[in-house]
Amino acid sequence: MEGLESFSWIHFFSQKLGLHLTSEMELVAMTWVVMLILVIPSLLATRRLRSVPGPLQNVLEFLVESLEGILEAMMGWRGRRYLPLIGSLALFILGCNLLGLIPGFHSPTNNLNTTVACALVVFFSTHIIGIREQGALRYLKHFVGPVWWLAPMMVPVEIIGQLARPVSLSVRLFGNIFGEDTVLLILLALVPLLIPLPMMVLAIFTSCVQAFVFVMLSMIYIAGAGEGGHREKMESQEGRKE
Amino acid sequence: MRLVMMKGFDLSGWKQIGYLASLGLNLVAATAIGLAIGYHLDKWLKTSPWLLMLFLLFGIAAGFVNLFREVHRLRGDD
Repeated sequence: MEGLESFSWIHFFSQKLGLHLTSEMELVAMTWVVMLILVIPSLLATRRLRSVPGPLQNVLEFLVESLEGILEAMMGWRGRRYLPLIGSLALFILGCNLLGLIPGFHSPTNNLNTTVACALVVFFSTHIIGIREQGALRYLKHFVGPVWWLAPMMVPVEIIGQLARPVSLSVRLFGNIFGEDTVLLILLALVPLLIPLPMMVLAIFTSCVQAFVFVMLSMIYIAGAGEGGHREKMESQEGRKE
Repeated sequence: MRLVMMKGFDLSGWKQIGYLASLGLNLVAATAIGLAIGYHLDKWLKTSPWLLMLFLLFGIAAGFVNLFREVHRLRGDD
């Protein structure tokens, strides 16, 4: 990969300004680009909200409503509370993934740092939501497992299982986007004309799927922590009846 | 109107893609995390190789517990 250096606007402009940026700093700058792409339209659209929406407000309303629909389909009506967290994660990751397809820009998600940051947000919010919804003691009880004498074995197993979640979340997103960008880069280096196009179409698809998978798994984790599993919920309902 | 359309939109196939995509990597991640914890505890407590072996087993067990649960949930969903 040493010989393959793809052009980037950030690199171009920083060299014009006489700045020397490392590749990590360039990725942070790319993240700013994604932030600008997301923040400016939402500021413009929400500054003057109308009951009969204009084109921009219409697009954003569609996005928010679709995300709300997915949340409700996955987590039930209580899922709506997590719209700010899940929605911004979804849009940010989708934006990051798709930015890499624009010539001269790179995906921030093809660096492990960005994806680990997103996964850690999900990891901590999962546990915070779990503790807030069920109380600390009841939440920690899930780590002990069903039988008390299995506890010395179940506690490390559960903790490792919990720690594996952010690892697999971040590595999956990073691996897919990195692979996709690398394939595109190599194809562009070999045959610049027309041949990379089908791959780019495929890359749009994988970008959307990866953003969706990330968000969907975080929804599953948060729902699992908030409810404590279906069995517990049914048991507590039965207990209330008695 | 749009919400109704989203609900009519078949989400279950996508849900399954997500579940299935998470299965393989979770197994590997849990094993790797167990290995890493054991390795560093061994380095710290100078008890090599016992904690490494123990936590590697814990990691593998965690991976399979996760796999079992996810598959169970997947089959319960259908």
